[in-house]
Amino acid sequence: MDSLLVRSAEELFSRHADPTAVRAIRAGGSPEVLWGELERAGFPDALVPEDAGGAGLRAAEVLPVLMAAGRFAVPLPLGETMLARAALAAAGEEVPPGAILLGEPLGGGARVPAIGAADWVLLPGDNGALLLPMAKAAEDEGAGSPFGRVLRWPGGAGRRLAVPDLFPAGAWAEVAAMAGAMERILESTVRHAGERQQFGRPVAAFQAVQQQISVMTEDVFAARMAAQLASVPDGDGVAGLNPLRVAAAKLRTGEAAVRVSAIAHAVHGAMGITEELDLHLLTERLRTGRVRFGGEAHWGGWLGRRFLAGDETETLAFVRAHLGPSAPEATA
Amino acid sequence: MIGALPLAAIPPEDEALRPEIRAFLRDAVADIPPERRARSWMGFNPEFSRKLAGRGWLGLTFPREYGGAGRGAFARYVLVEELLAAGAPVSAHWIADRQSGPLIQRFGTEAQRRFYLPRICRAEAFFCIGMSEPNTGSDLASVTTRAVREGDGWRLNGAKIWTTNAQHSHYMIALVRTGGTAADRHKGLSQIIVDLHAPGVRISPIRDLAGDAHFSEVVFEDVFLPLDALIGEEGSGWAQVNAELAFERSGPERVLSSAVLLDEWARWLREASGVGNASEAAEALLGRLLAHLAVLRAMSVAVTGRLMEGESPVVEAALVKDLGTEFEQLIPVVVADILARPGPVPPGPLMRTLAYTAAMAPSFSLRGGTREILRGMIARGMGLR
Ligand SMILES: Cc1cc2nc3c(=O)[nH]c(=O)nc-3n(C[C@H](O)[C@H](O)[C@H](O)COP(=O)(O)OP(=O)(O)OC[C@H]3O[C@@H](n4cnc5c(N)ncnc54)[C@H](O)[C@@H]3O)c2cc1C
Repeated sequence: MDSLLVRSAEELFSRHADPTAVRAIRAGGSPEVLWGELERAGFPDALVPEDAGGAGLRAAEVLPVLMAAGRFAVPLPLGETMLARAALAAAGEEVPPGAILLGEPLGGGARVPAIGAADWVLLPGDNGALLLPMAKAAEDEGAGSPFGRVLRWPGGAGRRLAVPDLFPAGAWAEVAAMAGAMERILESTVRHAGERQQFGRPVAAFQAVQQQISVMTEDVFAARMAAQLASVPDGDGVAGLNPLRVAAAKLRTGEAAVRVSAIAHAVHGAMGITEELDLHLLTERLRTGRVRFGGEAHWGGWLGRRFLAGDETETLAFVRAHLGPSAPEATA
Repeated sequence: MIGALPLAAIPPEDEALRPEIRAFLRDAVADIPPERRARSWMGFNPEFSRKLAGRGWLGLTFPREYGGAGRGAFARYVLVEELLAAGAPVSAHWIADRQSGPLIQRFGTEAQRRFYLPRICRAEAFFCIGMSEPNTGSDLASVTTRAVREGDGWRLNGAKIWTTNAQHSHYMIALVRTGGTAADRHKGLSQIIVDLHAPGVRISPIRDLAGDAHFSEVVFEDVFLPLDALIGEEGSGWAQVNAELAFERSGPERVLSSAVLLDEWARWLREASGVGNASEAAEALLGRLLAHLAVLRAMSVAVTGRLMEGESPVVEAALVKDLGTEFEQLIPVVVADILARPGPVPPGPLMRTLAYTAAMAPSFSLRGGTREILRGMIARGMGLR
């Protein structure tokens, strides 16, 4: 992967997505500056084919950028916009300006994240998807929660587009953001454990704390590996995504998210429960990411059924054929 | 902090070994019932080891001049993961092939290499590892078995315990004290090759909770060994032991110990329920286990990639082992739960495989370093201690 790309993303986020900026957007402030910088850097068009004016990158190449966005808890749909634009461009559809959220269909409306801003919602439906303007959405207040807002549009709203189902793609974007958020959570937990003193020693000196952080480290490594596996572009989805890989990764990352959040909060003590500390920006990202575009139960069932209906009768053979660290050999 | 593990793939030339191995295994393990195959790398069968040797599959990574195949760690990875997934009885040659041979190759004299390595490749020399003692478990540096220089050899006294296959092996590589006292800790330890047929060696097998006797207590009473029993440098035992550990801890055997159970259950699910008829709970569980397997395998392959580059990713290997054994231990727990639902009667072989795996599962996170010790290594890698 082009480390230049990651470095420029990291730099951009350090400058324009520091906790103050992130908190301002979360509170309903304008995301214009941050989004403008992202557009100027070309990130939202990273997955758009070159002949349609994009960078023509594939999932594995943009993964580090989306992980960086996760590390900063960026409250904007960068990954989703990348995916939506790529899908629209590939379908020969016009790409609208601005940020696009992938909506989860819910009772005739769309569930979208409770936090963050976007210009459009792309909502899957029969025969493709509807591109709906955020400005025209009505919010179903009663159905909303920190897990997401439920939006509805008047009949006839939006433009019908011939794009494939982006549900697994949305799940992949969450995997990337969660893997990044977990990296940052681990760093800050290690730092806090080294700084906070009790009984005359840093709490990191206690074996019980060390063992917990080791477990957390394992899950962070597993989540990162899951994200890398999910980004091997051997599928026929947008950016080369393969739903089997995404299924495994979303499930594993969701499990990791639960343990990582719990341990991080335990080690941070009461301080971690405060509004002031940034930890909750990241652990909230994990809570919402875990349930968006299918959680463990959904993807577990889906993957289990694929195995049972497939040709490979041994688990290792199935994993090698579909979930290996590289695209399977053409001859295998 | 520990650096990220980049994705690594098994090179095509090593993948190319797979079809032949799979074809061989289809016949070779066909008649072994699953509850025996579940013994995985604890299944002892010298005849099977000789069959593998006949194919050139022992000492795959040893240089050709010593009877090996001169292949890399990824070739062995392919071989081993197929053997373990099939539940082949690989225990007889396992330690020699994985650990003792590479150790001799790395630290041995030319004469030692010429003597031992070809025998290992022919399945004529089986090895065991003598680290643990009655009073030495996790605190390995506290070993008290002692080898004292005497004339043109060593005199060995002490005892080892939990030594897998000691009663079947030709040689033990023992970690012993050759200088100083237990208080000197890592200093004064050496590795020594013990001919287990030498006078003064007494081996008593110990029965395990499943009724097998794979490990033993080994007592040394004035065992006289020649000078060249020493392997590597006198006093370097600790460093040598640790050099083995990355290889020992990150391989497929830390992910696949319950593979036979998982596959038996999945097969029964497919056959008994027919496509589309498995319960939702069973499907979701299967998917969950597949997701874990995929990620663990990718991590294990990635650590092998590091080893191939000549690095010694000891902490990463500890991390893979701890996560991998947790997965191995999860399988019997969740499969037992799902099979406890009312429904069609599961076949006897499946239930016996479950019973064996469930009973032995606690050992998965003891052998090769306990969970707590591994987590301590990770904590050190993270700068916490
Ligand atoms: C099936 C099997 C095969 C084996 N084969 C071999 C073999 O071939 N050769 C060989 O040499 N050994 C072998 N062993 C022994 C194995 O290496 C030991 O079991 C292991 O090192 C742990 O030692 P112990 O059992 O004495 O436990 P102990 O060290 O007594 O540990 C007991 C408990 O205390 C914990 N503990 C100990 N020290 C600490 C600490 N500092 N911090 C926190 N917790 C701690 C441990 O994690 C564990 O939970 C085998 C074991 C098994 C189960």
